[in-house]
Amino acid sequence: MNNKLLKQIRKNIDYIDKKIIHLLNERMENALKASKVKDAIEDKSREKQILAKISSKEGNLIDKEFTLELYKSLFDESRTLQEKGLKLIGFQGAHGAYSEMAAKNWNKKLVSIPCDTFAEVFEGVKTGLYDYGILPVENTLGGVVGTVNELLMNDDELKIVGAIEQPIEHCLLYPEAEKFRDIRKVYSHSQAISQCKRFLERNNLEPVKYYDTAGAAKLVAEEKPEATGAIASSLAAELYDLEIVKQNIENVSNNRTRFFILSKSAQSQQGDKCTIIFSTAHKAGTLFNVLSIFADAKINLTRIESMPSGTGNYSFFLDFIGSIKDEKIQKILKEVQDNTENYRFMGCYKERSNQ
Amino acid sequence: MDLKLASRKNKKKTIVDVDGIKIGEELVVIGGPCAVESEEQTLKAARAVKAGGGKILRGGAFKPRTSPYSFQGLGLKGLRILEKAKQETGLPIISEVMDSRDVTWVAEYVDILQIGARNMQNFSLLKEIGKTKKPTMLKRGMYSTLEEWLNCAEYILSEGNPNVILCERGIRTFESYTRNTLDLSMIPSVKEVTHLPIIIDPSHGTGKLSLIEPMAKAAIAAGADGLMVEVHPNPKNAKSDQQQQMTPEQFKKFMKNINALDNFING
Repeated sequence: MNNKLLKQIRKNIDYIDKKIIHLLNERMENALKASKVKDAIEDKSREKQILAKISSKEGNLIDKEFTLELYKSLFDESRTLQEKGLKLIGFQGAHGAYSEMAAKNWNKKLVSIPCDTFAEVFEGVKTGLYDYGILPVENTLGGVVGTVNELLMNDDELKIVGAIEQPIEHCLLYPEAEKFRDIRKVYSHSQAISQCKRFLERNNLEPVKYYDTAGAAKLVAEEKPEATGAIASSLAAELYDLEIVKQNIENVSNNRTRFFILSKSAQSQQGDKCTIIFSTAHKAGTLFNVLSIFADAKINLTRIESMPSGTGNYSFFLDFIGSIKDEKIQKILKEVQDNTENYRFMGCYKERSNQ
Repeated sequence: MDLKLASRKNKKKTIVDVDGIKIGEELVVIGGPCAVESEEQTLKAARAVKAGGGKILRGGAFKPRTSPYSFQGLGLKGLRILEKAKQETGLPIISEVMDSRDVTWVAEYVDILQIGARNMQNFSLLKEIGKTKKPTMLKRGMYSTLEEWLNCAEYILSEGNPNVILCERGIRTFESYTRNTLDLSMIPSVKEVTHLPIIIDPSHGTGKLSLIEPMAKAAIAAGADGLMVEVHPNPKNAKSDQQQQMTPEQFKKFMKNINALDNFING
């Protein structure tokens, strides 16, 4: 028996199995998405169509009956899943992204669905594909996530139903950690690259920007480009079978990202924080007037952010501590609305911090 | 001696600050296993060092061995174990770097880089380490004179790294009862010609458990800035240096005795 050869073949089989599971998972995710936009769960004509398609595509080793049986059990499983009425949450990035970790920490019962862009998450919630969407708004090192704030500013439909702070611990990942000397290039999201700039410089590694941290890990694991590693989470290492060369490689150890959870309907439970958006007229003291309303009422502001909105005008994001069910808050917000333009109440929610 | 930066003419004293521990100012004891063998062994040794009052944890991840067939160390895995031991005990880490390609990587994990006796005159390694600002302990080569040793320190200093600590670990003589001859005359000699702190390694210097404490005491009396000793939870089963590693109990007693002497001499 040729042990070395057998070992290699088995390694290939393990790899294929892992891929099959990933793909099955992806198929189920899409079935769940479909269930959000179709009328009934069972669609016989669609099943027939699929069976016809795959039976014409059989490989020479695969028996037609086998494929049919396999797909019938797939359909069964897919239906059972859809009947459960699972709630979906869209996040930007590939599985293993920090956004997904935050989503799981916010509510582990939700099914997290990967999206390529922030806009895709936003649109998905609007069209009802996802019950929720999770988006990063600010990071302790990288600052404001501009694109997300822009999306929030230009929307008048979605509500903030939750907020969570997620610690971000970047790791350098590579297929074989012991071969760390070979690493020359590192793929990751631009935010992660800037957060690990000093580590990359110290070790003379060339950063390459990619759409997502976990996506970079996936690329390194699947395509194994020469001498290339990825910066991503330890969860991504686990998901894509990569090894951690070094943990916590960020410039500053207190690296945290705050995420908003969005939904079409406002949340009914008691919240302890609110977010509003408004703009003010181009006159002296208008912003000051708004802020003094909060100061006079002794309300603690936790965030104030300005975003340029078209020619010379600014929109302001304001987070403060308080509940919309509180009459005092309602009164104050009425006053704020009278003193601002384009006022919008974004939601009342519970702020959570994940240690 | 043709020294520029290492010469005492230029500077009175170098104090190397490692996480607030000031080498050159207070007596600093470094303890830990010869080699990182497993997580359990290293954590146990780290706890013993901490409990005994040691300030810094040692442990080899990359091991220079006389024979290529001897245990070569756990490499990166060993560094990760040391990192874990630091997280648990808070003790800073010292570990040897042998390959100039590894310098920046080992520096990511440890607080002090160690250059082993066999690599003392590995000039490309010295230059690479000089480019980092990492505190570095330069062991004296087993066939080296003081002048050769300090010239190696000069290599690191001249590249821009001022944080050099010297370590005497014994030299080769015709004596065979001890593993090496621990040259304690180097302590006052070093103090005469350079401002760099000096640490004594009586474990390698003698190779005999029974001689470690007497020589440590002699080193303190001669003005050493610190000691480096080997501590292993189970020395009999160690993968290297079985004859010279202390048990946790022995280390505790050792610390009590040398602290008493240190208090007597240095107050």
